[in-house]
Amino acid sequence: MYFGVFSSQNTDKTPTASYKYTQEFRSEAEKVLNTRPAPAKPWPQKRIKAASHEDHQSRVGGLRLETAAVRVEGLAVNYGSFVAVENLSFTVKEGEIYGLLGPNGAGKTTTLKVIVGILEPRAGKVEVYGTSVSNEVLAKSQIGYVPEEVVLLDSLTPREFFEFVASIRRLDKESVNSKLERFASAFELKQYFDTPIAALSMGNKQKVAIITGLLHDPKLLILDEPLIGLDARSSKILKELIAFHAKKGGAVIFSTHIMEVAEKLCTRVAIINKGKIVGQGTVEDLRRLVKSAEGSLEDIFLKVTEQEAGMQDIIKALEEE
Amino acid sequence: MRFSELWRLSGTAYKEVSFQSIFSLRAGSSLPRSGRRDIKQLVANARMNTLISKLITAGFIGFFAAVIFLPVTTSYTGSTGQEGTALLADVSAFLAVVLFLIVFMGLQVSTSFVSSKIVDVLSPLPLSKQDISRIVFLSFIRIFDIPLIAAAVIFPTVYSLISGSVLGGIISLGGIITAEIFALALTTVLARFFYLRVTSAGGRSKWQTLLRLVFMLVWILPTFAAYLVINFAANIVQSFAGLMQGFSSFSQILALIYPFSYGFLASSLTFLGQTEYTLLSLSAAASIAYAILAYYCLKWVTRTIRNMGVSAMGRGPREIVKDTLIKPQVPWLGIIRKDLRVASRAPSYASLFFLPIIQTAILAIIFSSSNGLGLTTTLGFLTGMSLITLLLPPTLSSIEGLASAYMRHLPMRKITLISAKTLLSTLTYALSLIVLSIIALVLGKNPTLILTYGAIHGFSVAAAVMLELTILTRKFWKEGFAVGNLYSRLSTYVLIVIPGYFLASIPIVSAIATLSIAPSFLLPVFLAAALTEFTLMTAVVMLQK
Repeated sequence: MYFGVFSSQNTDKTPTASYKYTQEFRSEAEKVLNTRPAPAKPWPQKRIKAASHEDHQSRVGGLRLETAAVRVEGLAVNYGSFVAVENLSFTVKEGEIYGLLGPNGAGKTTTLKVIVGILEPRAGKVEVYGTSVSNEVLAKSQIGYVPEEVVLLDSLTPREFFEFVASIRRLDKESVNSKLERFASAFELKQYFDTPIAALSMGNKQKVAIITGLLHDPKLLILDEPLIGLDARSSKILKELIAFHAKKGGAVIFSTHIMEVAEKLCTRVAIINKGKIVGQGTVEDLRRLVKSAEGSLEDIFLKVTEQEAGMQDIIKALEEE
Repeated sequence: MRFSELWRLSGTAYKEVSFQSIFSLRAGSSLPRSGRRDIKQLVANARMNTLISKLITAGFIGFFAAVIFLPVTTSYTGSTGQEGTALLADVSAFLAVVLFLIVFMGLQVSTSFVSSKIVDVLSPLPLSKQDISRIVFLSFIRIFDIPLIAAAVIFPTVYSLISGSVLGGIISLGGIITAEIFALALTTVLARFFYLRVTSAGGRSKWQTLLRLVFMLVWILPTFAAYLVINFAANIVQSFAGLMQGFSSFSQILALIYPFSYGFLASSLTFLGQTEYTLLSLSAAASIAYAILAYYCLKWVTRTIRNMGVSAMGRGPREIVKDTLIKPQVPWLGIIRKDLRVASRAPSYASLFFLPIIQTAILAIIFSSSNGLGLTTTLGFLTGMSLITLLLPPTLSSIEGLASAYMRHLPMRKITLISAKTLLSTLTYALSLIVLSIIALVLGKNPTLILTYGAIHGFSVAAAVMLELTILTRKFWKEGFAVGNLYSRLSTYVLIVIPGYFLASIPIVSAIATLSIAPSFLLPVFLAAALTEFTLMTAVVMLQK
C-alpha cells in the first residue's frame, strides 16, 4: 500500500515493506518544512499586515478550532458567453487537503485561478483566511501556487527566478536561503540552478514552480495538477510535503486526474462537472451519495460525472478495431 | 512535396506565429476573458494586427524608395557623371536600408517565432526533415512578405521611371533580392547565436554576464545601422557622390564591395555609353559572386531555420553549481533586476532597450556639426531623446506579460510595478543625457543648457512614463496578456505612446511659447510645467492599489 502512509489523515492504512523508505521521505519532507523561515518582512503599509499561522488557530481549552482557510460562495465565472463555473460553493478548513476532481474543462483550473487572484469572477464571494481575494496583495501573500501549465520566465535561471519571487514576497535572506538549500537538495535541482529555465525539462520546470510556491511558507497551498512531469522520487516527496503541510495546520487545495492519489491523500474531495459541484465530502460520503458500499473513487467519479454509462461499449468497440 | 502544398502548410504555421506574437500564449500569457466566439475574433484581430504592421513597414520602405532617395538624383540631372554617381549611391544605400530594416524586423519577431514552437509541432508529423525546413522557412518568409515585395517592386519601378533604364531597374531588383536573402541569413545567424550561446548557456559568472552584454551590443548593431542610414540617407548619398568624384581609384575597390557592386552595375548599365568598362566588369563579377553567395545563403537558411525552435536549443556545458544562495532585494529593485536580465536575453527587448543610447549617438553626430548649442537646439534634442525613451514603457510592460498566467498570482502592487519601471525608463533617459553632455564637453561645447533643461525635462519624461505605465498596467491587470512585441502590435504601441508624447511635449511647447512672449520667465515656466506634470502623475500612481 504505497499511499497508505504518506497522509496523516489516513492512519487506518496498513504499512508494508515500503514503510521504511516512506518514513525516510517523510522525515525528509518534515526536515524541509520544519525549517520555517522567519516571516516575510512586514509590509510597510500598516493595513497590509499579514497574519501568522497561529493567528488563525484559535484555541479554546487547549482544543484547536478549525478555521476556514478558503471560503467560496456562489462562485460564477464566464468566458464571454461561455459559463465556466456556476454557483460553486465550498469551504476548506485548516489542516485539510481538499481535492478538486473533474473531467477536462469542468472548471477546476478556473476555480483555482479565481482563488489565487488570476481571474475575476462574474459573481460570488471568495475569501482566503477571512480576506476577500479582492484584497489582492494580502490574499496572495498567504498562498503558494503551482499552476497547471508551468510557464515561468524562461530566459531566467532558477536562481534568478527564485530571487525575483523572494524579492516580490519580501523574504528574509537567511531563512529563504536555508529553505532553498533544503528544497533544492530534496528535489535534486541544485545542479540546474544556473541553467536557463527554457533549457530545463518539464519535470525540472515543475520543480522550480513547486519550490517557488513553497518558499514563503504559505498557509494555503493551491496545486493544480502538481504531479505532472515529476519523477517518482520528487512525486513522493511532494506528496509527503503536502501531507505534512496539512498536519502542521496549513490548508491544501489540489486538483488531479489521478484518482488513487486523491483517494489516499485528500481529506475531502469535490467533484466538479460542467462548472458545478456534483459531489462533495469524504470518500465515504461520496459512496453514500452513489449508494455504493465499496467502489473506488474512480468508480464514484465516473458515476457522479455520468461518464460510466456506455463506457464499456466504447472500450469494447475500440478493442474490436 | 509540391511547393503549393508547402505554401499552404506554411500558412497554418504562420497563423500560429502571428497569433503567438500578439498574445504570447506559449510564453505564459492568458487570453483575455472571452468566449469561444470571441477567440475567433481575437485570431482575426491578431491577423489584422500583423497585416497592419506589415503594411506600415511596406509603406515606410515605399516612401523611402520613392520620396527620400530618388529626388536626390533629380538635383544632379543634366550632369551625367554626377547623376550616375548619385544613382549608384541611391541603389547602395537602399540595399543597406533593406538589409538592416529586415534584420531589425527579424530580430523583433524571432522571439515569437521561437516561442510559437512551430518546429516542435511539425517535427512529429510524417514529414521529411527537408519539408519541415521548407515549411518553417516559408512561414518565416510570410512574416515579411509584404515588405519584401514592396521593396522589390517599388524601388526598381521608380528607378526605371526616373533613370529611364529598365536594365538598371532589373539590376537593382537583383540587388534587392540579394539584400533580402542576406538579411534573412543575418537574422538567422544572430538568432542562432542568441539562443544557442546566450540563452542556453545561462550562468552567473562575470564572463557569462560580459558575454551577454557583448551579444546585446552585436544584437543592436543592425538597429543602429538602419537608424543611421535612414536618418542620414540624404547626407550619405551626397557625401558619397562627393567622395567618388574626389577619389576615382577608390571606386574600383568599392565596386567589389557589397552593396556598392550592385550600385555600380545598375548605374553603369543605365549610362552604358559613358561607362568605364573596368568598373562595369568588376561590379558585374562581384554582383554575380554575391548572387551565388545569396543562393547558398538561401539554402543554408532553409536548412538551418528549423533549428530556431526551443527544443533545438543547445544545452551547453553547465557551470558547476557551488551553492543555492540568492539575494532577495526590495520588490521594486527585484523588478528592475528581473527586467534587465530578461531584456539582456530576449532579442525583441534588447534592441529596444538600447534605442535611447542609439538616439544619443545620433544626436551627438548632429551635435558635432552644429555651431553652437542654443536653447532651440537644446529643446529639439530633448524632444528627440524623450520620444525614444517613451518607447520603453510598453516594452518593459510586455516583459511582465511573458509569464502573466503565473506572475499575476504574486502579491505585487501596481504602484511598485509602475515605480520600478518608471525609475528604469527615467534612468535610461538620464544616462542618455549624461552621455550627450560628455560628448558636448569633448567637443568643446557648453553643456549647461542641455544639462539644466534636460534635468528638468526628466521630471516631465518621468510623468509621461508614469502615464503610459498607468494605462498599460490597468490594461495588463484587466486582461492579463502581453502587449506583444513592437512589430506585431505597432498600433497598440502608437496608441499608448501618444499620450506620453503629449505630456512630455507640454514643457517644451510652453517654453517655446514663453520664449516669444516673456523670455525671462522661460526657465520658471519650463520648471513649473515639468514639476506640475510630475506631481500630478505621482498622485495618480499613488492612488493605484
